[in-house]
Order: sequence, then C-alpha cells, then structure tokens
Amino acid sequence: MDKLRADVRHAMIGGDRIRAKEKRAELRDVERRWDEALARLGDDPQQAADAGARAPSPSAAPSRPAARSAVLLPVREQVHQALTLLGAPAAPRMIAAVHEAFYAGRLVSSRLTSLRRDEERSFRAAPYARPYYLCAALTADLLSPARGLLAVSTWPMDRRIIGPLSPRVDYLTAAIAVAEQLERITDPDPNARRLLWRFAANIPRAASSMRSMTPDVVANAARAELAVHMDADSAHRTAAASRARSQLDDAAQLFGSGLALSRQADSSA
Amino acid sequence: MRNAVNDLEARLDRIRGAAAPRNHNARTIAALTSNPGCARRAIMDAAGVDKQLLASRMGFPTKFGQSQFAIGRGNAFETQVKAGGCAELLRLLREHLELSIPEVSYDNLDEVGGNTCREVRHARTRALLARATRSDQDAGTLFDHPLLRLQVGGRPVYLEPDLIAFRLRNRFFVVEVKSFSVIDGQADGEKVAAAAIQSAVYVMALRDLLAELGLSPDSVADTVVLVCPENFSNQPTAALLDVRKQLTVLRRQLARLERIDTLAELLPPALTFDLRLDEHGIPHRPVGELTSDVRTVPARYAPQCLASCEMCFFCRDEARGMTAALGREVRDELGAVELVQVVLRLADGSLAGAEDQAEAAAILRAAARLRSECLGGAA
Repeated sequence: MDKLRADVRHAMIGGDRIRAKEKRAELRDVERRWDEALARLGDDPQQAADAGARAPSPSAAPSRPAARSAVLLPVREQVHQALTLLGAPAAPRMIAAVHEAFYAGRLVSSRLTSLRRDEERSFRAAPYARPYYLCAALTADLLSPARGLLAVSTWPMDRRIIGPLSPRVDYLTAAIAVAEQLERITDPDPNARRLLWRFAANIPRAASSMRSMTPDVVANAARAELAVHMDADSAHRTAAASRARSQLDDAAQLFGSGLALSRQADSSA
Repeated sequence: MRNAVNDLEARLDRIRGAAAPRNHNARTIAALTSNPGCARRAIMDAAGVDKQLLASRMGFPTKFGQSQFAIGRGNAFETQVKAGGCAELLRLLREHLELSIPEVSYDNLDEVGGNTCREVRHARTRALLARATRSDQDAGTLFDHPLLRLQVGGRPVYLEPDLIAFRLRNRFFVVEVKSFSVIDGQADGEKVAAAAIQSAVYVMALRDLLAELGLSPDSVADTVVLVCPENFSNQPTAALLDVRKQLTVLRRQLARLERIDTLAELLPPALTFDLRLDEHGIPHRPVGELTSDVRTVPARYAPQCLASCEMCFFCRDEARGMTAALGREVRDELGAVELVQVVLRLADGSLAGAEDQAEAAAILRAAARLRSECLGGAA
C-alpha cells in the first residue's frame, strides 16, 4: 500500500493524470481488501449474529470482479477498444455508449475530454513511444482537428479525415460495426440492443421498432445508404489525406494543424 | 443627408453616454416587436443603452436572461439532435421535407480551424453558402451554427441560427432547435410565438447575406423548421412554422428603428441616460436626476412588458393607477380615460366626464349597474 501511495504521488507530481487515476483505483482496491480482511478477523467470534445481515453480499459478488478488472484497464485502453470496434472517429459520448454496451465497467464520457490533449503532450515529449495514440480526426478543408472527435493513430490517414459527407459515412460505418458485433454475441446486453436501435431509428428502412429490429437488416440498410455516399466521400478523403501527408509534420498529422495549435507549439518551444 | 445621419448618431451617442453600445441578439431583436408603441424602449434600443444597469441604478433591478438550467437543457437537446452528423435531424428532414438520401453533407461553422472569431466565422459562412448556391452538384446541405449579420439601427449584429439546411426544393431552410416539448401535437403558444419571431430574425439575416451574394430573397423559405422534444421523451419531432407575418412585423420594426430621428427630435437636446460609470463600472450619476431624464421619454407600459423588457418594473411603478397597467384590453376599452381613479368616479356617476370620455362613461355606468344588480345588496 505504501508503494502504491508513493506511485500516486509521483504520477501526480509528474502531471500524468491518467496514470495517477489508475494507481488510485488500485490503491482503493487494495485498501478495501485490507479493510475486509481486518473485518473478517474481527467478525469471527460473532459470525452467527452477522449471518443475516451479510446474506445479500454473496449474490452481488459474482458480477463485481469482472467490473473491477475492466475499471483497472486504463481509460485510453478502454477508448481504444471502443474505437476499434466502431472503426471510425467518434465523439466521447458515443465511445462511452459503445463501451457500456459491449464491455464490462463504466466509462464516463466526461473523463475523455482531456484525453486528446494528454496524448498530444505525451507524443510531443517522446514521439512514437507508445504503440498507438488516441488522436484527432482532421477536417478535410483546413486539416485542423475536428471538434469533439477521437480517432486512433494506427488507422490510415484517410479514415481520420472528416469531409462534408464523412459524419454520415462514419455514422453508417459505426452502425454496421455495432450490428455485426451484436450478431456475433449470443446473449447481448440490453444496452447493446438499445445502442443499435439508436442507429437504426435514423437509417431508412433499417427497423420499424426496437422489438422487431434484427442486426442483419440494420446492417444491410446501413450498407445500402453507405453505398450512395461512399464514392464522393472517399474522393474527398483521399485528396485531403495526401495533402495532409505532404504538408504536415508528424505531430500535426496526428493532432491537426490550426491557429490554436501553432500558438501552443510556440509557447512550449 | 449624411449630416442628418451623423447628427442622429451623435444624438444617440449622447443619450447613451460614455458606455459602449449594447449589442443586439436574436432575442433582443425579437423583443423589439413586442411593444412597438413604446418610445422609451425604441430610443434606448436604438442608442444601445444598457437597460438592465440603468433600471438597477434607478432602484428597479430585474433578473433578466435565461436560467442556467434552461441553457443547459437547451444545449443538451441540441447536441443530441446533432449527434452523429445530425443523424436524428436528417431523419426528421427526410420525413417532413422529403430531403433526398444523398443529401447528407454537413459543415460545422462553430469554428474555423480552431478560430472562433466572429469575423472569420462570418466570412467562412459566406464562402460556404456562396459555394453551395453556385455549384450544380450538392456542395452543402447542413450548415451547423453559421454566423449571419444583420444591420439593426445602423449597426451590424451577429446572429447564430442553430442550423441552415439547403437544397430542400432548392431553397434554404432555417432550422431552429428548441427544448420545450410538443405534447400530443400541442406546444406552449407563447414559446412557439417566441421561437417563430426569433427564426424570422434569422430568415431575414440569411436573406440579407444572400442578397449580398446576388440572390433573390425567395431562395430562403419563409417557413422554418422547428425541432422540439416530443411528448415526455427526448425524442425530437419537427414542425413547419410559417413566419411570413413575423417577417412583416420585424421589417416594420427595424424600419422604425432607422426612422428613430423623428422620435429623437421630440426630446430635449440635453437628455442623456449616461450613468457616469467609473473605471470599476460603478455608476455615479444621482438617481433623481437620472430618473427625471428617463421620465422625459414616454413609455407605454403593458403587463406583457414584464416578459420582455428590462425596464419593466420601473415602468410598472410609473404606471400605477393608470388603466394601462391593467392590460392592453382594458386600455383599449377605456380609450380616453387614463386613470383608474377617474374610471371609478365615472362609473358611480360622481364625475360627468369630458366629451371624448362620454362613450367610455356610458359603458362604465352600464357595467356598474349590472354589477350592483347581480350582487344585489351584497356589493
């Protein structure tokens, strides 16, 4: 426990908030186990008296270890999981919804707000030190970071470009990905079906009600609409991607160029 | 002519005093139409006087503006409607306006490359709308938070509609997202009216912009799309709102603001609402002097002012004992009778009344007779 406390302190001083949060979660877990162990020691003589009061806890116990282990996964790992499933740049709210539907544990979307900046700082301090970075999607016209969207650095550049048609294309891509994932699961979480319904309601001929909705019909409807937009969108994206590769340096390719960014770079230089 | 305009500008500057003029927004422009007969409000708005500060200096502070909760709720609903490239909005537009499937292009004008400066955003809005109108192919359908500009009383005002949709039957549509709910097909009439007049302001500003680009005003539809939550859910629903009437009212009001010189000429030349603010923004002008200056400009108080004007408590206090304070209907019925005291005396017959009050007096006496007959001895 002492070592963990020291780790938390170091992480806080070093300004690595995500690491500090992980360590604090670990510390809380260890402290709780320590408390429980102490309580068990103390309880032994009067176990009979407590039996009634503690009865509900065994039934609640089985679901908890899984939830706990997911919470111990760093936030960036959780976001990476969700984004990989979606296969397209997404807003924090969507990432949190996908995570809640398919993975254990809760991801609070407000925790993602500073993520991109933290990742950028980490990249600028030691470029390519991590296997992947959570980075920005870039607007097709100005190559500036698109507002409120997260992407993964290992994706090809054109997938991270947001042209005028891309929000819809990414929406449909995500709908297909969620539908396919649902088809793979035998016993999906109700949250997962609700998530798919949120997509299906806004795609023509995808489903008439949440009860009658089937993932393959939703996926096909989304593919049908996607086919309409695909060519125009990928033309925008490829053009902008090649422009980005030739004009931007490594950091700007990941995190976008713009007035705000260049000012930040000046002040840090 | 130029001189006359300069004179008026100088005149209004003097009325406002040293403070910087207050900027209008869609809400304040819409409020202009709610009481067109009020000279006090017209002068103050034209001069850009900070009415809230003025009213609180005179001892009648008002808590004006939207509550934090209302703003939060409104923003949350708007974010929901616009999530996923306006996914929910696209569904509504496809249902209500027969928007075709390929038209999904979305441009966010909230910022331009991280720059949120108004001039830059306005220039970008112009450029994108110009491109959209000129190109044959679909060069833009949804424009999120464009920044428009409207001349109000000779000053440019920046306005930010929620969304503009284009190419629905080859016209621009203003889309307004509001968070009050439509229950069983019915919404609060007052709120719809307020939304309609606000949207009309946007339609007008958009027409101005397109006129600068050489397009006819017909390219902006005079129906707007109002998006609200349905029943008790967060599910959005859309309705088309005809704002032709509101546009006429607004045009008249704005033209009246331009003709403010006729009003200004009636006022004493030394009149000013200057608060004599010091460098910390604390007013130093004696209250009595200020109040008497404000009273020089006639107001037309009606209870509706309480919902739309910062000066309302001051004017209500001033109108105490007047028939106008009882509402527009009462004032119109009683025509020439201004004081409640006189009304009562006319009714009980203790005052004969002047010639122009004869009609009102007859009605009042009849009403008093009916009342005493109904109530019998109880009255």
